[in-house]
Amino acid sequence: MSDENKSNSDSSANEPVVTRSAAPMWIIVVTLLIIFVAGYYFDQHSGWFNPKIYGPYSSAEQLETFQPKSGAAAALARGKTVYETVCGICHGTDGMGKPGQAPPLAGSDVVNAKGFNRLAHVPLRGLTGPITVAGKEWNLSMAAMGAALPDDDLAAVLTYIRSSWGNKQSAVTGDDIKKIRAGLKSSQPMTHEQMMQISE
Amino acid sequence: MKTGFGIFLAAFFTIGLSWCGLVLTPQLQLGGAKLEPVLNSADTYPLQPTGAATLGLQVYRANGCAACHTEQVRQGGVACEISLTGLGIYKPADFTAYVKSLFALNELADLTNSITASLKGWNGDLPKTLLTCTNKALADDMASRLKAVGVKSETHIVATGLDVARGWGERQSVAADYLYDQPVQLGSLRAGPDLANIGVRMPDANWQMLHLYAPKSVAPNSTMPSFKFLFEVRRIKAGDAPSPDALKLPAAFAPAAGYEVVPKPEAKEMVAYLLGLKANAPLYEAPFTPATAAKK
Repeated sequence: MSDENKSNSDSSANEPVVTRSAAPMWIIVVTLLIIFVAGYYFDQHSGWFNPKIYGPYSSAEQLETFQPKSGAAAALARGKTVYETVCGICHGTDGMGKPGQAPPLAGSDVVNAKGFNRLAHVPLRGLTGPITVAGKEWNLSMAAMGAALPDDDLAAVLTYIRSSWGNKQSAVTGDDIKKIRAGLKSSQPMTHEQMMQISE
Repeated sequence: MKTGFGIFLAAFFTIGLSWCGLVLTPQLQLGGAKLEPVLNSADTYPLQPTGAATLGLQVYRANGCAACHTEQVRQGGVACEISLTGLGIYKPADFTAYVKSLFALNELADLTNSITASLKGWNGDLPKTLLTCTNKALADDMASRLKAVGVKSETHIVATGLDVARGWGERQSVAADYLYDQPVQLGSLRAGPDLANIGVRMPDANWQMLHLYAPKSVAPNSTMPSFKFLFEVRRIKAGDAPSPDALKLPAAFAPAAGYEVVPKPEAKEMVAYLLGLKANAPLYEAPFTPATAAKK
């Protein structure tokens, strides 16, 4: 009995106790090293946790370079977007025009001309007065809706209307519009006669 | 417990930090996800699923499809393909000679093998894929050199990787693909093929019906169990024509004469859901040039 008591008191004396001692230096060094390596890895691969960036892309700049921006399909899609926000309100998203608002573009002689010089003057200057489009008389006014559009956007719109709804004419580039814009003789709306004096 | 408060603090910060990383951050990143514009188009993505497809997701879920099928396409990498669309003043042979003269330039040395391989045995047909490379800057350099001599080319962005090679998708799955899924059926095991694009790959509703009723009737090596309980085998009433919905099964799988197999609403909803799985729109975060546009 007394022996047991003795051993009990011995074991309680040997219990480990919590002390406050500094962590070994090597643990601190290794931890900092791991944090540094992980930070470097994230810097290289995570795109800074941007929710738009998935592997294999590792940064916003890299993702930006891989956006397919060129090509005829891209220009046509851009033209459709601009047409539907700027032109489609009056000319209709189907290009058939709206009574009392704007004549159709589908099957229009000006749109379907071989060249696009005369056509480009319409959005750049505007058009006013009587005109016959697709066999019907129209007497309305159009403001210079395209004067404020960037060259590339206006070119995309013209490309779109020249190749949609049964129209089948060549594409227009931003450089073409730049030249036409530079050569504008007036910024006032044209009449039909004035328009017909402009070469195709 | 002299250090009780210290242990509490340590546990609180450990759990709090993982909560921030696993719950809070994703919520901040994607909690406000909205429809996204499709690249080079006026459309938005994804499309609102039809009512039947919305119900079909619950049928898909109830039948444990996600146990064997995933809905996530993985992408290994991305590559640029330069496709020739017009040779200008060149004849094919002259053009080949011109391109080979470019190999002397150090900065284009990496492209030598790719271009040499693609020009081998070329008879001058257009459009022609000239090279495939993973370095966008290099591809742009090559494209500008071609443009400078009046040769027309288009640069296509294509996703690469095993899943893409299997034809399971044209790009990897991204968060926007699951915008309308509640709950999301990602899946983690591929006993069957990936279904992220099944509506594009197998757009035939009749095929889907047959495949659900008797998988081996359309895919002889399929290990998929039959989902016969989504269908009803019923007697054709004397004098009545068979139901227009009745499955046209091959003889080995057809029911007895005078009976027909018609899909229950669950089967129709499931097929509507499967046909609506079309993760094929090019998005900002997963850009690629669609095959249809590439063909133009």
